[in-house]
Amino acid sequence: MPLASLNVHRQGDIVYAEVHGDIDMSNAADLRQELSRMTPNDALGLVVDLRDVTYLDSAGIRLLYHLREDLRTGRQKLRLVIADGSAVTHTLVLAGLDWGAEIVNTVDAAREGMDR
Amino acid sequence: MKPQAQPRQLGFGQVALELDRSVAAPADQLRDLVRLSDPALSELEFTRLLDELLIRVRDLLGVDTAAILLLDEARQELVARAAKGIEEEVEQGVRIPIGRGFAGRIAKERVGIFIADVDHADILNPILRQKGIQSLLGVPLIVEGELIGVLHVGSLSPRVFDLRDLAVLDLAAARAAPAIERARLLDAVEREHRNAVMLQRSLLPPRFGPVQGVTVAARYLPARDEVGGDWYDMIQLSHGRVGVVIGDVAGHGLGAAALMGQLRTALRAYALDGHRPGHTLRLVDYFATSLDEEVMASAALAVVDPDKGTATFASAGHLPPILVSADGKARAIEVPLAPPLGAFGFKDCPEHELPLGPGEMMLLYTDGLIERRGVSIWSSIETLVASISGAQGPEDACLMVMDRLVPQRGPADDVAVIAVQNDPVPAVLELEMAAYPKALAPLRQALRQWLQNQAVEREAQIEITIAVSEACANTIEHAYGPARGSFTVHAEQRDGRVEVKVHDQGRWQPPRDQHRGRGLKIIETAMDEVDIHADSTGTTVTMRRELKG
Repeated sequence: MPLASLNVHRQGDIVYAEVHGDIDMSNAADLRQELSRMTPNDALGLVVDLRDVTYLDSAGIRLLYHLREDLRTGRQKLRLVIADGSAVTHTLVLAGLDWGAEIVNTVDAAREGMDR
Repeated sequence: MKPQAQPRQLGFGQVALELDRSVAAPADQLRDLVRLSDPALSELEFTRLLDELLIRVRDLLGVDTAAILLLDEARQELVARAAKGIEEEVEQGVRIPIGRGFAGRIAKERVGIFIADVDHADILNPILRQKGIQSLLGVPLIVEGELIGVLHVGSLSPRVFDLRDLAVLDLAAARAAPAIERARLLDAVEREHRNAVMLQRSLLPPRFGPVQGVTVAARYLPARDEVGGDWYDMIQLSHGRVGVVIGDVAGHGLGAAALMGQLRTALRAYALDGHRPGHTLRLVDYFATSLDEEVMASAALAVVDPDKGTATFASAGHLPPILVSADGKARAIEVPLAPPLGAFGFKDCPEHELPLGPGEMMLLYTDGLIERRGVSIWSSIETLVASISGAQGPEDACLMVMDRLVPQRGPADDVAVIAVQNDPVPAVLELEMAAYPKALAPLRQALRQWLQNQAVEREAQIEITIAVSEACANTIEHAYGPARGSFTVHAEQRDGRVEVKVHDQGRWQPPRDQHRGRGLKIIETAMDEVDIHADSTGTTVTMRRELKG
């Protein structure tokens, strides 16, 4: 049983990635590599849907920072979709991560924000 | 009275002797014949019975050889089954077609046949000649008008068997035949019983390997006389869930046991394929109706989720499960069922989510355990409930019900029992884990379950889990070199707070950069107190969190 699974699809200029399961130090590096690889240079940006993530630790947060850096080099944007009160929110709050508009709670909001 | 007989020439030196019933065997021989119906004989197993009969017949008639051939009905042949003085007959598996040769003619004509001179007679079996037998006398073995075989005796010196000899042999045959038939039937039943027991044993594992989160124990006992179609099974499923199965195919013997094997395999395969319990039983029902033979069976399946503390239960016509609380109180659970398997096909099988928290146990069983003549099924279930109360665990539960409910001389019907317990969560959690990244997920699972059982509220559960997992991640990342060590986690609840200690034998490494420092920040924010103690024996991170009151 893999700890987490990933579904990726592209719609127009935007790549959507849904992650299910736990993200910790055992799979964070692989996940970062996979997400970067799945986002081609011609895409406007990447939406990572973390609403089905059941656990996220500091290795996961490190992954998000690195992913954002990876995308910035290609002038691409990153949006995170996170459910209020979820395990992911807890980790972000505990770690003091505040990305403002880059974190939304619906996929629609993520898509709208991408154009600006 | 003068012996009368109507000898009839059969040609080839054979004489058929029709016994005039007025011819009596001599008194002394008659007395000896009584020994042939000796009750002790009926106690012997088949082969020994035949041997004993032949020895007695040989002594009685003063002959050199004696043999019994039994009818193989399917092939219409006589098969040598026992012999004295001509053991080769049996060893070589001599087979004589009905109607041919000496024994074949006896079987066909159903008369005694006397051969005065073997050299000049139609003898099919060369062993008789090779042994130097001069004269032969044989009679059919008949039970209730059916031929079952032939008994014959031989003499190495020429001998004229007279009607008295025939009367003795005929009487011996009449006495022996029913005993032979009875023993042969018992032998066949015994053989089938052995085969069925072997099949059953090979299908039902006597014990189960360890499974994370639950403990399972089971028992199977064949009926006093024969095995049946009862079965149990344990199936490890995804997400730490465990399927526990009980089933009962109607009928007995090899057929029922073989059918049980098919249903057990089908159920196991559908469950492994990820179907829910109700749907699994529906598919097994469909499978059962597809078989050529008529199937009548009941089965129940419980999928236990130790983390959620539930057992999802579905039943096709099976007896109600028994739940035993953590403090040993038992009760039968009556829920709506689907009809039995193979009866008329069902569309839906109701599913029930039953609570099965830590320390709680479920017992599934077949009717052989509880059914008693003249006792209602509900009253029997009450007796079962009473007999299992106070059981400490699955092994204990199986022991108690088998001991208290199964009669001393064995059950009248076969019995299968399986018990599953959601493992009790200890007041103190002690874990030792190998220091590698994949250890973190099972660690979190164990910690979450423990926290849940300690009634720690959800917010605190999540935050304590993150903090402990971070501390362990740091240990895994820094404390050891390439040679993988291990670390321990000790958690306990005391005075309104949870204290967790993570200990390793490595050296504490302060975080090296901004990103890596985030783990420590998470721990410090999530917990009320964090203390890191490092010395030559290793590093201990102690974390405390106050619980809301």
